[in-house]
Formats: sequence, C-alpha cells, structure tokens
Amino acid sequence: MSSKTSTPHEHHIVSTGTYFVTLIALVVLMIATVAIAQVNLNAIGPFSGTVVNQVIALVIAVAKAMLVITVFMGVKWSTTLTKLWVASGFVTLILLFGILGDYVTRHYEHQSGWEKIEDGSLPRFTPDERTVPGPKSNDLNVKIRQ
Amino acid sequence: MSSTVISPGELKPKPPAEEPNYLNVNHTISSWLLTGDHKRIALLYLVSTSFFFFLGSIAAGLIRYELTSPAGVVLESDTYNKVFTSHGVIMVFTFLVVAIPAIFGNFLVPLMIGARDLAFPRLNLASWYMYMTGGTLILAGMVFGGVDTGWTFYTPYSSMYSNTQVSMVIIGIFIAGFSTITTGINFVVTIHKMRAPGMTWFRLPLFIWAMYATSLMMILATPVVAITLMLVVYERTFKLPIFSPELGGDPVLFQHLFWFYSHPAVYIMILPAFAVVSELIANFSRKRIFGYHFVAFSSLAIAGLGFLVWGHHMFVSSQSMYESIVFSLISFLVAVPSAIKIFNWMATMYKGNVHLQSPMIYAIAFLMIFTVGGLTGLFLGAAGTDVHLTATYFVVAHFHYVMVGGTMLAFLGALHYWWPKMTGRMFSDGIARVNAVIVFVGFNLTFFPQFIVGWLGMPRRYHYYYFAPEFQAYHIMSTLGASVLGLGFILPAFYLTQSLFTGKKASANPWGAHGLEWETSSPPPTSNFLETPIVMDEVYDFDPVSEHARDLRNLQEAEEWKKAHDGMDNLPEEDN
Amino acid sequence: MSAITNSPDHGHGHGHDSALHHQFEDIGQQNESYIVGMWVFLSTEVMFFGALFFIYTLYRWNYQQDFYIAHEHLNVIMGAVNTTVLLFSSFTMVMAVQSAQLKKRGHVIGYLLMTIACACVFLIIKYFEYSSKLADHLYPGAGFATDAQAAFGEHAIEAGKVAVNMNHAQLFYSLYFGMTGLHAVHIIAGILVIGALIRLWFNNAKSVTLDFVPTEMVGLYWHFVDLVWIFLFPLFYLMPKPH
Repeated sequence: MSSKTSTPHEHHIVSTGTYFVTLIALVVLMIATVAIAQVNLNAIGPFSGTVVNQVIALVIAVAKAMLVITVFMGVKWSTTLTKLWVASGFVTLILLFGILGDYVTRHYEHQSGWEKIEDGSLPRFTPDERTVPGPKSNDLNVKIRQ
Repeated sequence: MSSTVISPGELKPKPPAEEPNYLNVNHTISSWLLTGDHKRIALLYLVSTSFFFFLGSIAAGLIRYELTSPAGVVLESDTYNKVFTSHGVIMVFTFLVVAIPAIFGNFLVPLMIGARDLAFPRLNLASWYMYMTGGTLILAGMVFGGVDTGWTFYTPYSSMYSNTQVSMVIIGIFIAGFSTITTGINFVVTIHKMRAPGMTWFRLPLFIWAMYATSLMMILATPVVAITLMLVVYERTFKLPIFSPELGGDPVLFQHLFWFYSHPAVYIMILPAFAVVSELIANFSRKRIFGYHFVAFSSLAIAGLGFLVWGHHMFVSSQSMYESIVFSLISFLVAVPSAIKIFNWMATMYKGNVHLQSPMIYAIAFLMIFTVGGLTGLFLGAAGTDVHLTATYFVVAHFHYVMVGGTMLAFLGALHYWWPKMTGRMFSDGIARVNAVIVFVGFNLTFFPQFIVGWLGMPRRYHYYYFAPEFQAYHIMSTLGASVLGLGFILPAFYLTQSLFTGKKASANPWGAHGLEWETSSPPPTSNFLETPIVMDEVYDFDPVSEHARDLRNLQEAEEWKKAHDGMDNLPEEDN
Repeated sequence: MSAITNSPDHGHGHGHDSALHHQFEDIGQQNESYIVGMWVFLSTEVMFFGALFFIYTLYRWNYQQDFYIAHEHLNVIMGAVNTTVLLFSSFTMVMAVQSAQLKKRGHVIGYLLMTIACACVFLIIKYFEYSSKLADHLYPGAGFATDAQAAFGEHAIEAGKVAVNMNHAQLFYSLYFGMTGLHAVHIIAGILVIGALIRLWFNNAKSVTLDFVPTEMVGLYWHFVDLVWIFLFPLFYLMPKPH
C-alpha cells in the first residue's frame, strides 16, 4: 500500500448539534455518578456494596471517556491507524496493571514481605514452618579463607 | 573491472569535484545547530554519544583497575559506588538506548524508505537538544558529588537515605527520556506514512522493521520510568511515603515500575543491533535474508513479549512466587524470537557469497557473542538458578555480552558499513578488519572470566573481594582484556577520523549492497534523492547468478543478464 | 534493489501559499501524519498518568478504610463544578476546531478564549481547594503525622487507639497532590499552548489559517487533559464507604 496519496484527513465536519448533545450526555453522566456515589448500594452476588459502587463509578467514567474520545477527539471518523494508536496506550496500561498480580498472590504462601502495620509494631515475619533452613556453609563448595 | 560494467551510482555522468550534498551545502555553525536535516542531526548525535561513551569507558576503566586487587586499589567504597553508578547511568541512558536509533535510525530511516526527511524534522532537532540537556544534567550530577545508588535507583535507599546527587541525575534522565520518546514518535509516523511508492511493508529492509519495533517500546515504556523516577525525586524532596516501608509504602513497587520500563529498555538497546546485523549479513552474503517474514515478525514479537517479562529482574525481591513462575516461563518464550533471528542469519550465510570485509567481521562476531549472551540469560531466567546467580558477576557478564558484545559490535559494524555513505569517504578496510579482531579478542578476554568468577560467587557492585583472593586471577585477566578492548574502541576514532581527510572518495555504493540508501550519492544530497524512487521489488533481491559474478569469467553472460534486468543489478566493486 | 525514478514531484503545492512542508507529498499525507503523531504522543501521556493511576489503585485497594477517611476532606461540590467546567471547555475547544475547519477566524478566536476562560476557572477552584488543604495541614511532608491530626476530628489518635493510620492518610494526600498537581501542570501548559494558538489566529498566520490540523492537534491535547480529570474525579472524590 503506497503511502504517497492518502485520503485527506476527514473533511467530515461534525455538526454543532452532535457536539452539543455529547456535552449534555457528559454532564448528565457526571451528575449521575455523583448521585450514585451518595448512595451506599447493596451487595450483588459475591461482590460487596463497596465494590458495586466502585464498578459503577468506573463504568460511568469509561462511558464519559469513550464519548470524549470518539466524538470530541474525532476518533469515530478517523483512520484505522489512528484507532490502533488510540488503543495501544490503553492496552499497554492494562499490561502495567499486571503488576497487581504480584500483590494479589503474595499472601497465598505465608511469605514475609510487605505487611500492613496495624498497631505500630514491626512488620510481622512469619517464616513458613515447612521450609527447612538451608545449610549455613556455602553450598558451592568454594573454599573461603577466613 | 571492465569499463563496460558500471554500478548504478555512476549511471549519471561523473560529478564535478564537489557536488552539493548535505555536508557541504552550508558551513555555518547555526546551519548545524538549527538544522532540520535528519542526516545532520544524526551526525550531531554521533559526536555527542561518542563523547558520553568515552566518559562511561573511563568509569569502566576505573572499575576494572580497582578490581585487580582483592582489597581494592585506589578508591574508597563510597567512591567506587559512585563510579559504577556513573558507568551504568551514562552507558545505559546516554549511550546504549540512544546510539543506534538516534544515529543510524535518524540517518537511514528516511533513506531506506525513500523519503525526503523524517515526518517531524523540528521535533527531531528538539530531541537532540533534550538529549544534550539531559546528558549535561547527568554529568553535572556526577561532577557535583555523584550518585551511589546504582543505575537502578532502588528505593528506599535512593528515595530516603542516599546523600548524593540523586535528584539532579534523575531529572537529567527524565529529560533524556523525552528525547527517546520523540525519536520514537518520529520513526513510527515516518515509517507508516512516508514510504516511497511501491514500498510495501514486506519490501522494507529488516532494519526498518526492527526500528519500528524499537520505537514501539520507546514510546510506550519510557513514560513509566519517567514518572517513577520523578516520584523518587518528590519523595526525596518532600519526604513522601510512596516507596517507604515505614510509612506504608512498598519499595518493591518501585522495582516493578522501574523494570516495567527497563526490561523493554534492554530490548530497545538490542533490537537496533539486530536491525544492523540483518543488513550486514544480507548484504555481505549477497543473499536474501533467509525467512524474511520470520525475522520481521520476530522483531515485533520481541517488542510485545518484552513487556511481559520485567519480573525476572526481581526473583529475589520478595515478589510472589507465582508471579516468578509466570515471568520465568515468559522469559523463556521471549528467547525464541531472538533465536529465530540467529538461525535465520546463519542460514543466510550458508551458501552465500560471503565477503569478509570489516562490517561483516563485526556481524559474525555479533552472532557468536550474542548467542553466548542470550544463552546465559536462560540461566538467569530460570528462577531456581537465578537465586544463586543473581547479583553476582554472572549477571554482569551476561548483560555485557549482550550489550557490549551485541549492541556495541553492531554499532561498530554499522559505523563502518555506513561511514562511506555518511561522510563520502572510504577508510582503510585492512586496519578496520584487524580492529574488529582486536575488539573480539579483547571482549572475550574481558567478560568471559566474569562468568566464571560470578558462578564461583563474586558479588557484583563490590569493590573488594578479600574474602576470596583466589578470584584475583580472573579479575586481572578481565582487566587485561579491558585494555585490549579499549584499544579496539579507540582505534576507529583515529582511522575513521583520518579517512575524513585522506580517505578516498566513496562512490554511491562502495560495498555493492542493496537498499535505497545505496542508490543515492555518498554523501546524499540534502533532500536525499534527486527524484522520488519508485520501488519495484523487495530490497534483498540479490540475484544468485550475478552476485557470484566474481566467479563468472564470461562477462558477456553477465552483461546479457544485466540487459534482461534493465541493467539495475549491482556488481560489487573490487575491495581494496 | 530495482527502482525506477520518476520526475520530481516538487511542484505540487509546495509554493508560498501552501501549508505543505517539504518532507510531505500532499496535504492529506501531512495531516494524517500530524494526527497520528499527536495520538502517539498522547499514548505516552496515557502511560505517564496511567502509572500514577496504578499506584493509586494499589494503595487504595490495600488501605481502603484509611483512604476513605482521608478523602472525606475533599470537597465534592468543587470537584463536580471543576468537572463540568472542563467538560464545557472540551466543548468550546471542539467548536473552535470546527470553526477552523469552516475557516471562521472570529469564531475560532472566540471559542479558544472561552476555553482558556474555563481553564482559568478550573485553576481558581483548584486554588481554593488547595488552600483549604494547606490551612488544615493536610499536605504530605515530614510533619504530617502530627500536624494533620486536628483535621481528622473524631478519627484523631486517642490514647492507645488509632482509627486512621496517619501514614496511609499521608499516602492518600501524596497521591492527591501528585496527580492533581501534575494534571494542573498540564492545564497550565495547555493554557499557554492555546494562548499561542490564539496569537497565531489573531495574526492570520498561514500555518493555522490554511489548514485546520494544528488547531485540531491542540484540541486533541486539551481533550486528553479533560480525559484525565474524568478519571481523577470519581477516583478521588467519590469513594464509597468501605464496610
């Protein structure tokens, strides 16, 4: 595919009406999110009310973001290349959130590490009783002169 | 060579003494410092990165000197910490990440795709100024007291306890990081939008594929380390608790965020080297790269998988064991695309018409050294063995094998290969070949003993080892090797600079290579091509018959073949 | 490689009256390059802010109770007004871009001025928010643990009993000031860039009048700044009460 000639950037001029309706939608969503946040929702299934609240707030935020991105930033009418680059930042950000995997799985085994300081005492260290402490001497069989 | 056989660069009538090219079109200082020409900016980068490399090597020399005796020689422990930190910071942030992309990427990307310039020339110039500002701040930090945290700036030492110039150096790295980001933006847009007519994705040189993959990582990973390092500065300045364990923060969080960038960073350092080696091996074997699609996609695979393996730097950091398993597995997977490249390069050389000129010697040395470096990475990628090898000289040897033996060798190979194109002068290939061997010998002498002494238990970043004096023999061998290696790095500065004055003028295509950059004069005119090229075939379209023309006694046969192909093949010039 | 060269292409639109830069073939290629380039830059900003959002997510997940207590001092009304102001400024910005497409210079300048006005209102409200935090000693620093106790009222440390962990509250405020502060820096940069754009339009500079894409690029940056706030607002100001 030659890149020499390309369709000129969309001279598709979006109408003022579309922009205005989008603005109204955004403001409505904002009012909704504030209103819902004042209410302590009930639990749904295994998810506590707090989690439900947070999820709803995030869903509304994502909806607002999608409106801004697709309409105000014109991505709805843009080329595939642009859409790919819009997505790539967020996809990589999701990869970054993979760091949470460490924190979620750290306490599966009773490992020491980053523990909450509850009453100002030192962090708890709970060595797993099943582990056998390794030999004190060097296990590489390297003679170390004292 | 008969006078009826001409190479394409000389199809036009012989130029007069000094044809206008990008070098001689304007001689004022401001025409260099305010240029938008990607070729001039590449030369600006060449001079500045060489300067930083020189400073980093002085630090390396000090380290090697210090380690020749078990009790140290001249440095205090604190000073030694500052020396190895400056070696790491300067080499990583001001040289390795920058060198091949900013010099050869800037110079060659528009040429190889048939464009007049990069997409954003002024941004390119701004990128160089950001690099210089960042580099200067880093050096200022080193001069005004240095930093002793290691180039990895682990918290809470860097954020709370170190009394050194951490903030200044970090701000320098931050600014230099933006240079990287803008270079990446430029490359991505240029490669997508400015290819010449007929230059489809699969007709591109593999150099471009690798540069694209590098740019992906530059763009998406660098901001993470930028904000992470800035948080360290905020923590130092305002006593914030973000990474401090006493105040509820997690120091390992810093390591996660730091390595989320720094692992892709090492691929940013090596992928351009792969880019160069693809070009060298194809052109000096006079053969199409074996498995072009595999090599192209492997660059993208390395970029993609490179984002998923950062935890293999943290096996002993109290990271969750389950994460370690996942990272270990993916680290083994990411070795596969690199191996694919190595095998494809070797298959390219097999039954090729191999010309052992100096760039090719660097490329072959790369194959050998990088393979060793990559294989030793597997010992480190397996979590179990890593527990014994981490923070020893085994790790140091591994990454120097891939960084110096990989990136530096490719850098030197690229410098020699494209020197005639960039400067219009040929250097003496005889000296260059000898130098390549010196570098190879010196390199192995320096770093192979480090594998052994690391496996035996020598810790890294220690400036004495009086508890194990038997390591001294290895350290002395390593220091001797470093002296040889240093010679191999210094000599090109002399013979290449000398070629600027006394070297013979280079034709458009002195190596007989394929690629759009070889179809314009050496040095190229400011707008790269006098006329926009239209691409008809892939770049590595070496014809097996004509490329073995040195064996063809029947020149008539060669000329008939030439006529049948519109006279557009390249017969190699005699080498000196 | 085989390549035929064709006649030079320099005639097309590279004259004085053109906004076409020398490295591009036609205005379509140039415009697409600028738009894609701007989005590539915005993806770096996504990662830049994104890392901070990640740190916030991690710490809030681990210290939910303390973050909730700490966040109660944030003024939701001011936050909501700020959100509305920024959303409206996005609207005026996109109207400015539309006017640039329609070559209506007066409208462009008008809408851009309104955008700057909204940004200034945002910063003024932010100033009041920050001032009240500073007055209550709710800013992170070495003295937080003692200075900020008064602000937490019935949650303050009583003898032997800690209801809110001051360190975690300090963490909350570090992230609050860090992220909203970085956002404010981006707002200020945006004001400066939009100001420069207004000046170019005012002077009828060819770089902006002949082609709307420079205005659109500034618009993209501004919408991104709005996007960040769209996520900052619910995450900091609208926390649900943990059980």
